Amino acid sequence: MIEVKKLSYTYADGTKAVDDISMTFPEQGIFAVMGQSGSGKTTLLNCIARFLFPQEGEILLDGQDIQAIKEIDFRQQVGVVFQHLNLFPHLNVLENMMLALERVQGKTKAAAKMESMEMLERLSIVDLAQNYPAQVSGGQAQRVAIARGLALKPKFMLLDEPTSALDAATTSDFARWLRELKEFTSFIVVTHDLPFAEQTAEQGVFMESGQVREQGSLVEVLKNIDRG
Amino acid sequence: MHYARIIITLTLTFLALVGPRPAAAEEEFVTALTGKFPPFSYYDNQGNLAGFDVDVSREIAQRINLKSQIIATEWDGILAGLLAEKYDAIIGSMAITPVRQQSVDFSTPYYHSGAQLFIHRDNPNKVYSISECDGLRIAVVLGETYQHFLEEKFPEVEVVTLKSGAEIFAMLEQKRITGFVTDRLVGAWQVKEAGRSFVPVGEMLYKERIGIPVRKDRPELLGQINQALAAMEDDGTMQDIHQRYFGLGKTSSSELGTMQTSVIAIKLLKGFAVSLAIAFAAILFGFALAIPCGLLLTFRRGSLKPIHFLVRAFVDFIRGTPVLIQLLFVWLGLGLSPFPAAILTLGICAMAYMAEVIRAGLMSVDPGQDLGARALGLSPVDRFRFVVWPQAFRIAIPPLMNCVVSLVKDTALVSIISIPELIREAQSIISVTFEPGLYYLIAGLMFFAVTFPLMKFSDRVEQSIKAKGFSHD
Repeated sequence: MIEVKKLSYTYADGTKAVDDISMTFPEQGIFAVMGQSGSGKTTLLNCIARFLFPQEGEILLDGQDIQAIKEIDFRQQVGVVFQHLNLFPHLNVLENMMLALERVQGKTKAAAKMESMEMLERLSIVDLAQNYPAQVSGGQAQRVAIARGLALKPKFMLLDEPTSALDAATTSDFARWLRELKEFTSFIVVTHDLPFAEQTAEQGVFMESGQVREQGSLVEVLKNIDRG
Repeated sequence: MHYARIIITLTLTFLALVGPRPAAAEEEFVTALTGKFPPFSYYDNQGNLAGFDVDVSREIAQRINLKSQIIATEWDGILAGLLAEKYDAIIGSMAITPVRQQSVDFSTPYYHSGAQLFIHRDNPNKVYSISECDGLRIAVVLGETYQHFLEEKFPEVEVVTLKSGAEIFAMLEQKRITGFVTDRLVGAWQVKEAGRSFVPVGEMLYKERIGIPVRKDRPELLGQINQALAAMEDDGTMQDIHQRYFGLGKTSSSELGTMQTSVIAIKLLKGFAVSLAIAFAAILFGFALAIPCGLLLTFRRGSLKPIHFLVRAFVDFIRGTPVLIQLLFVWLGLGLSPFPAAILTLGICAMAYMAEVIRAGLMSVDPGQDLGARALGLSPVDRFRFVVWPQAFRIAIPPLMNCVVSLVKDTALVSIISIPELIREAQSIISVTFEPGLYYLIAGLMFFAVTFPLMKFSDRVEQSIKAKGFSHD
């Protein structure tokens, strides 16, 4: 479980992007963080992913302040897929997955390869194993990036705007695919794409000007936004 | 890792083979000459050093009970080499002048000669003495006393300085100069032996006493040399040596003006092997240093800022100064032996250019790559080693290859510090055969045979990088 308590983040230029927010991410299912651009949702994600350090408040992972967790342990528990994916272009899909298994988890090359192939198979993208990132489509690249994160078996997986590079048809396919991954981990999906959130998430928050405007089950949140 | 070990072993072996040797070992009498001043010094048709000065050197060494070692070096750096203790003495037909006497001590003269003007037999400019040469091009070898003499006494003469007699003769054959001033004996020998198409005109310009310079801190050596010279005069040895080269019909003409093809081939290949070995060692050394330097060049902020500025300044300085000056500085200024000096200088030069290329390569890798690797939990070292560096390196390969190509070509410069690389070997062949066109062309083609595949390889890597979509804009 991730708990965000009274969190505030102010950028160096004085912009307060996240303003005293609290929320709890359950250890199951898909949780959507929604909002317009500039609402503070990506800043929140970067704080949870420990790429930004909030000036006020705290974030707890299973009751422990994330700032107190060792980097290598934290990264294995909380995975991130960036908006631009950041796949490594000089490595093929399989090698992209194996790198952290070998270098972070200390697995042998053979073990890393076996685990990666298994994961690719379970995610039904095993035929991409030998392709380089430049050789796969946008939707496929999104799945590869998620697979690379899932290979480390994190408790939470943060996705930043996963649909920004996908067209409508690909987005539906992707949403269906993502729903099937709930058994692997819990997802926190940051998105401005409300239909996509509706197709995937059970619960969510809607942010506005760095604050939480609505939170609860997704159906309720969407209903309240419509009304407001 | 396996390759790294092999390369290190090879480099160490190479350095051990060519590495620093004491220039003035106690049992040796090390002397210098140019090897390009027939009949005083030249390469015979077996490719060995020969000539009047060579015989005098060996005779003196024998008489002072030391082993003779003769180094062939460039005339314009020959005195500097003596002062930097690269050798004990110069037995290379050096005229005794007051200016030179300020920095070195000369032995008693071992022969007398003088400056003579030579012109083309056709005499297109109709000159019969140096005083008629105002405004005409007269050549001398760079650093010879004739240059200073002409500039002082005949300021209206246009003095052309060239690197060796062979170049001067070629220029005169092509009538690109009116004439040249050289030693009376050398010119006369050329006319007689090599059938050159030029003739002496006018009186001798002045007379010269030719002596053996040693450093001022070696008076005992000077004494020994003077004793040996006196004894050689007394027992007729000097006369014998003189007869060998200047006596009527004593020189065997077949030995001069020609060189066996096999000797030429071996000289060229050996010279090229030396060029490539120096290039290889320098590239290895330079590249190893270029990686940390290139990385430091990207740290413009943070705690490494002071080191960044030091590296920045050093790289800029090296890139902004001529390699030739760097070579001479390391050889004469720091006093390194020729091979280590060449490898160090060219290596540091390669480092400067490669560091800049590597910096650009690192900067062109998307910062998101490092972030992506961090999100997977990779350590800073692993992020660099497995994610950022492999991409930067691939991007940098084509410009790095350009550095390698220039460095291979720059090895031509090390002839100046008396290393027998390809250009120097070609020059020594030309000083005997007088075919500069042919042998400079061959030397050029040999370089091209190595640099061309490197350029093609670089093109190919560039194509494949584009295909894989590396590097962001």
